[in-house]
Amino acid sequence: MTGQTRRGVMKKAAGTVLSIMLGASLLAGCGSGDKEQSAGASGEAGGSKERVTLKVEVFDRGNSPSPHTITNNWLTQYVQKEFGDPNNIDVQYVPVQRSEETTKLNVLMASASDVPDIVFVYDSSVFFRYAQQGGLTDVGELLNQYGTNLKSYLGDDTLKFGQLEGKQFAIPGKRAITGRYASYIRQDWLDKLGMKAPTTTDELYETLKAFKEKDPGGLGDKNIPMGMALAPAQYETLIYSFIKPVKGDLTYSQRYELPLHEGFKDAMQFMNKLYNEGLMSKDFSLDEEKEQLGKDIQNGNVGFWSEDVDNLFYADGTLDNLTANVPGSKVTPIDAYSNPNEGGKHIKSRYGSNGMYIMIPKSSKRAAEAVKYLDWMSTGNNIINIYNGVEGENYEMKDGIPVLKDDATQEMKDRVYNGGDMAIISNGKAIGDQAKNEAAWIAGFPANNQEMLRKSIDLANTDTVGPIVFNGPIEAEAKYGTALNDKLKVIMVQSTMAKPDQFEAVYDREMQDFMNIGGSELKKELEAALQTLN
Amino acid sequence: MSERTSNRIFDIVNITFVSLFVIFCLAPFAHTIAVSLSSNRAITSGEVTLWPVELNWDAYGKVFADHSMLQSLGFTVILTVATTLLCMLFTIAAAYPLTKSNLKGRKFFMYLIIITMFFSGGIIPEYLLIRDLHMINTVWALILPGLVSPFNLIILISFFKGIPQSLEESAEIDGSSHLNTLLRIVLPLSLPVMATLSLFYAVGRWNGFQDALMYVTNPEIYPLQLKLFQMVQNNMVTELTQMEGANRAALTPEALKAATVIFATVPILCVYPWLQKYFVSGVMLGAVKG
Amino acid sequence: MTKATTYLNETSGSKRRSSYIKRYWQLYALLSLPIIYFLIFRYGPMYGVQIAFKDFNLFQGINGSEWIGLDAFREVFAMNDFYITLRNTFMLNFLDLIVSFPAPIILAIMLYEIRSGWFKKFSQTILYIPHFISWVIIGGIVYQLFGTQSGMVNEVLRSLGFEAIPFLTDKSSWLITYLFTGVWQSAGWGTILYLAALTGVNKELFEAADVDGATRLKKIWHITLPSIKPTIITLLILNLGKMVSIGFDRPYIIGNTAVREYSDVLSTFVYRIGLEAGQYTLATVVGLFQAIVGLVFIVGSNYISKKVTGDGIL
Repeated sequence: MTGQTRRGVMKKAAGTVLSIMLGASLLAGCGSGDKEQSAGASGEAGGSKERVTLKVEVFDRGNSPSPHTITNNWLTQYVQKEFGDPNNIDVQYVPVQRSEETTKLNVLMASASDVPDIVFVYDSSVFFRYAQQGGLTDVGELLNQYGTNLKSYLGDDTLKFGQLEGKQFAIPGKRAITGRYASYIRQDWLDKLGMKAPTTTDELYETLKAFKEKDPGGLGDKNIPMGMALAPAQYETLIYSFIKPVKGDLTYSQRYELPLHEGFKDAMQFMNKLYNEGLMSKDFSLDEEKEQLGKDIQNGNVGFWSEDVDNLFYADGTLDNLTANVPGSKVTPIDAYSNPNEGGKHIKSRYGSNGMYIMIPKSSKRAAEAVKYLDWMSTGNNIINIYNGVEGENYEMKDGIPVLKDDATQEMKDRVYNGGDMAIISNGKAIGDQAKNEAAWIAGFPANNQEMLRKSIDLANTDTVGPIVFNGPIEAEAKYGTALNDKLKVIMVQSTMAKPDQFEAVYDREMQDFMNIGGSELKKELEAALQTLN
Repeated sequence: MSERTSNRIFDIVNITFVSLFVIFCLAPFAHTIAVSLSSNRAITSGEVTLWPVELNWDAYGKVFADHSMLQSLGFTVILTVATTLLCMLFTIAAAYPLTKSNLKGRKFFMYLIIITMFFSGGIIPEYLLIRDLHMINTVWALILPGLVSPFNLIILISFFKGIPQSLEESAEIDGSSHLNTLLRIVLPLSLPVMATLSLFYAVGRWNGFQDALMYVTNPEIYPLQLKLFQMVQNNMVTELTQMEGANRAALTPEALKAATVIFATVPILCVYPWLQKYFVSGVMLGAVKG
Repeated sequence: MTKATTYLNETSGSKRRSSYIKRYWQLYALLSLPIIYFLIFRYGPMYGVQIAFKDFNLFQGINGSEWIGLDAFREVFAMNDFYITLRNTFMLNFLDLIVSFPAPIILAIMLYEIRSGWFKKFSQTILYIPHFISWVIIGGIVYQLFGTQSGMVNEVLRSLGFEAIPFLTDKSSWLITYLFTGVWQSAGWGTILYLAALTGVNKELFEAADVDGATRLKKIWHITLPSIKPTIITLLILNLGKMVSIGFDRPYIIGNTAVREYSDVLSTFVYRIGLEAGQYTLATVVGLFQAIVGLVFIVGSNYISKKVTGDGIL
């Protein structure tokens, strides 16, 4: 009995049994069909050409403010009105839970008929897998035909990320801000000790030791000279200040490829020293969500730390709470880490110039409409409106930068609650060059924090190194990526927490393991790929 | 030591131990309530333990003002009741025949069922089945796939077997049909286990959201736990959301998260005290005597 | 239903059959509903196990993907991580069997022995609360309590002059934390089934024992425990069937990188290779392995139980 025939029989049986058992009325009442039908019917009058439906994936984070829903809100109506109706297209959104995106996308892709016409992922290995398995539409021609504006908006550099063997299998979004991380120090602690802000890694170490010994915060057991978490913003900042780029200002693109860079061991050694001398958070290995770190910073227990460049500055966020909890506290962004393997420069990581990979499944019959939709998004003020709402109500343009109005009502603000998730072609407010994007971004923060955010961004943009882009996928990444990513964390935790005299042994053992479970294959492939670049 | 004192010591030790355990179990719930009533500053600074700090009801105000929350609560209640009833119906229908050791094919059916405890087709074939049955975005996708839990079925069989054979036999001699015996004798004698299994099914449905993640994209039939899951996941700043950079969504305030947890948990917590009346000792004994 | 009748056709003569059917048709009719359910919803998607033997391509579908024989099995069985996670799964399940399995039995008996009606009801209601709190939230609370630097328990220990205990980052301490949270989360919930079983205890036996002057512990041992023995055995067999499968949330959330050597289990392994990396074939292979071992365990333990105690589930 093959699965196929049996399934056929069972499907039939199921249909009969179900309709008997459940009653047709119930089935009809609970379906979601009603709404779609009425939406379709109302559109019919619009044009003479046959009206079609374009299905677009959208992230659902469960944060829709009442009365909006993820599939019916101000933005979906905006799209329908501005893009759908004029083109005789019904735009329908298919919500996908943020954290389940890949699982759900795989299932949808496998079902062919249910998959939206526009889907997207951030993970490049998922994109390459889909492309290699032959599941994606080559949009090269369509872009020339319907997407000229989109092409010039994204630029060739960004489009390159979506190519495989000369074919455009994905349309990469454009990233507005490439700066990632900045570091901060408690200026009031420095002042109390009469010290200057450290400008090199060595000076930083001395400062941390002083923080520990002289305890300027008067915290005793709670004193944490350097805040650390098992989260990229913290450990990457440290690691990047030791590793040597593989080519110019470029490093391998994946996080788990960090151990393949020269200088990685030095970074681990430094972490080990900090940990064993009690200079950094003891429980960093538990803190993957950096929740504890946030608490420690807000309670004024941390002297120095690194963070995502925007993290501190949200309204009633970390910085505001620290100021409220510890009167007299003062934070300064600093560029303390210097890279001894790279001439003392303040090397740090930046994002690639692309955002998410936007893809059109091969099974889609609406590829042309899909490209038109993305093209529409890149025209005129659409990106600005999707991010900010209505000009004059939500924002005003000042020097070409949308500035949010303080007097906008909550109802107005709710219009664009998921603007970032709708504007898929633009990661962050990509409205022009980097400086303009940054200005637009900063303008969205509370006024009292804007200046320090500005400084943080400037630091985050200093001496950055970016991800290398190869011409094709690295097979070993798809195969071993997740296992290696996990192993990277083990290497960091084990070699940091080892006793100093055991560091060498532990580090070697874990690195050996890393190489055995795919690291060496990955290394070989990366080095070969590097040779092909010129 | 007299029997009386030893009895007393036993009671004291026993009650002390149970009380301690009760406190342990209550603490996290109390903590969650405390968080739901505290200010965001106090929560993120880690000041809240078992009592609210800077007491306010804003979070609950927000939960109750959210129309979709209330709607989801109503839907989930109906879904849970319907699921529980259907599940119990099917489980009883399977359990009773399978207690009859002289039923031909019994072993075959038992194996048929037990195998499903271990082997499954995986999410993709399961999704395709639900799609082919046209159940995507319907409540049936949330009810039918988990209709009979083999685990619960085996437990029910084991309880049914515990009912004295003499009772059923005497009924059969009186000319009662199998169905009649089930309804008149077996089920009334099994109220405690029926209450228990109903609770298992109800709680399973109430707490479940994985199926909704797969089969439902219509926000009108989101179970409450799915909304809660979204909220909790939204606060995960993991590597998953790293690439979002400047696009990262604002976090859900902790207090709102906690208030939603309470909002989504209290209704199902109320079910147990209500079922407790079926846990009366000596039901069986009375029946045997009578 | 058709299955049942074919089976009958083959096994019994026509005369005996008619009287048999007359007597038992109601039972078969009853049974047919759930059996149809199992065939459609459980066996319907079962063709998916083929994935283990195919180079699964999402877009070709299961039937369109190429057969690769046992290649994927070889790949899995060559992975070091597979053996480590298998060992950990066994270890954690075994410890749970020793610690977490008896806990609800003891607790149920203690509750049964409580005489005050209101306290009994109240404590039952509270004890099962932890079951309703998701592991994500439990994880947060566990970190707040047991962190080495800022955990409340360690703050108390330090203030009493003791050394802080690395409950979560030291491997053996972590095992205890893992077991403790398991007991805490599930013991109360687990009592419900035993309490249901305890309603069937014949009160006259207690009265007779009182006449004989038996102590409370004696009565528990000779009357209470034997009356829930079938339930214990049923649950024990079901538990043994799950020795190689393990939930994802508890080891994943209570676990952390520092104790990965112990906390990495088959479910987290499958998550890593299968769902995250999209290697469905490998994930299916592990699932198939778990299913076969689980089936062998449950049938085996049922057999032993029948030999030893006369009770079983099959």
